[in-house]
Amino acid sequence: MQFGVMQRGVFPQGEDMRARFGELMEQARLMETLGYDSITKGSHYSTYPMHEMMQLPYLSRVMAEAPSLRLNAGIVLLALQKPLDIAEQFATMDLMSGGRMIFGCALGYRDVEYKGFGVPRGAGRKRFEENLEAVKRLWTGEPVTMTGSHFELDGARISVPLVQKPHPPIWVGANADPAIVRAARLGDCWYVNPHQRLDTLERQLVLYKRTLDEESKPFPAEFPIRREVFCAPTHEEAVRIAGPALKSMYEAYEEWGQDKVMPEGDNDISMRYAELAKGRFIVGSPDEVAEEMLHYHRVLGVNHIIMSVQGTGLPQSQTLETLELIATEVFPRVRQGM
Amino acid sequence: MAEMQFGLMMRAQFPAEEDMQQRFAELKEQARTANKLGYASLTNGMHYSSAPFQDFQQMPFLSRIMAEAPDLRINFGIILLSLPKPLDVAECLATVDVLSGGKVIFGAALGYREVEFLAFGTSQKERVLRFEENLEAIKRLWTEDSVDMKASHFELKGASCSLKPLQKPHPPIWIGANADPAIERAARLGDCWYVNPHNRIDTIIRQTELYRRALDACGKPFPDEFPARREVFVAESRDKAMELCKPFLKKKYAAYHEWGQDKAMPEGDDDLGLDFDDLVRDRFLIGSPDEVAEQMIDLNKKTGINHLIMSVQWPGMPQNMVLDVINTLAEDVFPKVRQG
Repeated sequence: MQFGVMQRGVFPQGEDMRARFGELMEQARLMETLGYDSITKGSHYSTYPMHEMMQLPYLSRVMAEAPSLRLNAGIVLLALQKPLDIAEQFATMDLMSGGRMIFGCALGYRDVEYKGFGVPRGAGRKRFEENLEAVKRLWTGEPVTMTGSHFELDGARISVPLVQKPHPPIWVGANADPAIVRAARLGDCWYVNPHQRLDTLERQLVLYKRTLDEESKPFPAEFPIRREVFCAPTHEEAVRIAGPALKSMYEAYEEWGQDKVMPEGDNDISMRYAELAKGRFIVGSPDEVAEEMLHYHRVLGVNHIIMSVQGTGLPQSQTLETLELIATEVFPRVRQGM
Repeated sequence: MAEMQFGLMMRAQFPAEEDMQQRFAELKEQARTANKLGYASLTNGMHYSSAPFQDFQQMPFLSRIMAEAPDLRINFGIILLSLPKPLDVAECLATVDVLSGGKVIFGAALGYREVEFLAFGTSQKERVLRFEENLEAIKRLWTEDSVDMKASHFELKGASCSLKPLQKPHPPIWIGANADPAIERAARLGDCWYVNPHNRIDTIIRQTELYRRALDACGKPFPDEFPARREVFVAESRDKAMELCKPFLKKKYAAYHEWGQDKAMPEGDDDLGLDFDDLVRDRFLIGSPDEVAEQMIDLNKKTGINHLIMSVQWPGMPQNMVLDVINTLAEDVFPKVRQG
């Protein structure tokens, strides 16, 4: 099992972002010493009322603090981008990090982002697929000639070679069933999202496996999942720290329309927190958290857990304690249990 | 005059066969050296599909290299601004400005290579329009809470920059320009004209007058900071300096000529395919420490240029030569220029 941390890097308006950045770097240095496996940073634009740091500059900077950790751009909103730009930026980052990049990608769903990038709403899926094909071809390091609907490669070639061969792992994020089929078809693995309940994921795993079979692709050696994790010395304490943070975060998600891309029957994320948490978030004492992770592993086969541990408003001291508690108490229990 | 600032341009381009992880370790050493020796800024340029050279991408490169040089300003010099989307550029630069403690310089220019226009789904024909739209949008995203703007290739509808830059109202905007119309645009739209490395110094003196007139026409004062990129090399004598840098510098300018950079230069100074001695004359700052200091002082007197962004490495030049030049400049040239 690999353990990664999602550094959301999202803070309320009015916060001193320079100070928050210093704290995130401190967290990264601690993760390096505690033996974590990866750091993840997501991507959103125009995140008012929250502040957010941009993904690629952030990951490029944080790698200086955590030279042993893999760096997961999880996810890049790939339908918005130009493939030469993404292929080149990742090649540089793979090189600077000594071959530690993970390329997460997904469609995105927010109007303000599609408009801001001049992408018609209906063009998202096509652009995603074209871009992914172009990025993979560019990553061979050979000159590429390809005409897409919104770009043309005329003998274009990335400017530095990748360290990882043939290329960094491609994790395709997916919520809805058609997106899971796409992940099976196009990705090195499906990157399981943070929002859905375990029972939904079990059903979707069947679909994922069936599609892999149809494509004659083996089940991936690495199968990653994002989860919100709230771990404290006692169950009661974990529930206490999880509550308000999750409530405000999921209200923001709902406002953005994240629930629209989730499957029928599991798309009302405005439910009360207690109900919401069940089978969706990992909350509890180290024993409970380890047991829950093992359960996910047994039911889904996941073997890389990307944990968000810093809900909105959680102070730095608490985040550092949580990171340490998980590394010292949860890692060994999970590894023994596997 | 404001005190002269000295910046290091890390072109970070290397021949195709070289080990780029090794070269990256060397670039980090150069950055640490520049930080220690009192350089003012680090610059990296931008190109895509940069064959025949290998090249790092600007945004991740500068975001990483700043960890080695925490005192230096970080110059995106330049961003090919007709290619990207303004929301992306505004947000990324604001992030780097916060991460660096407010040290970002935003350099912007048009670009000229077909392979880049095509890959970004645009064309030579659209480049001026997109450049101007993007620049306007970025400034608004940096200074307004919510932006509505409809342009030819994007639409901002209640869009905001997730993080505002630390520098207020925003990082300095330097506009790169070679040709006369581009210099007028720089006067109109930028905080300053970022003088290019290619034009001859007599051309730049002429264009500085043009720039002054264009500023007057917009009712803008001459900028406090007036930066220029130059190729710089120093050794114990001019002959020695020429001999050492010639093989590398010559090859780089042959590649510019091949890419068509000189098509963007003004008439009468639009040939980078000249013999090396003719190319260097009145264009690059090369010589003994005394001579280079003299050339810098002269350039400052004739134009007001007070931030020199110096490239001291061209593809193929080994690390020890680069470190020698970085050291010699700081020890033997900077003090003379400041005295002069």
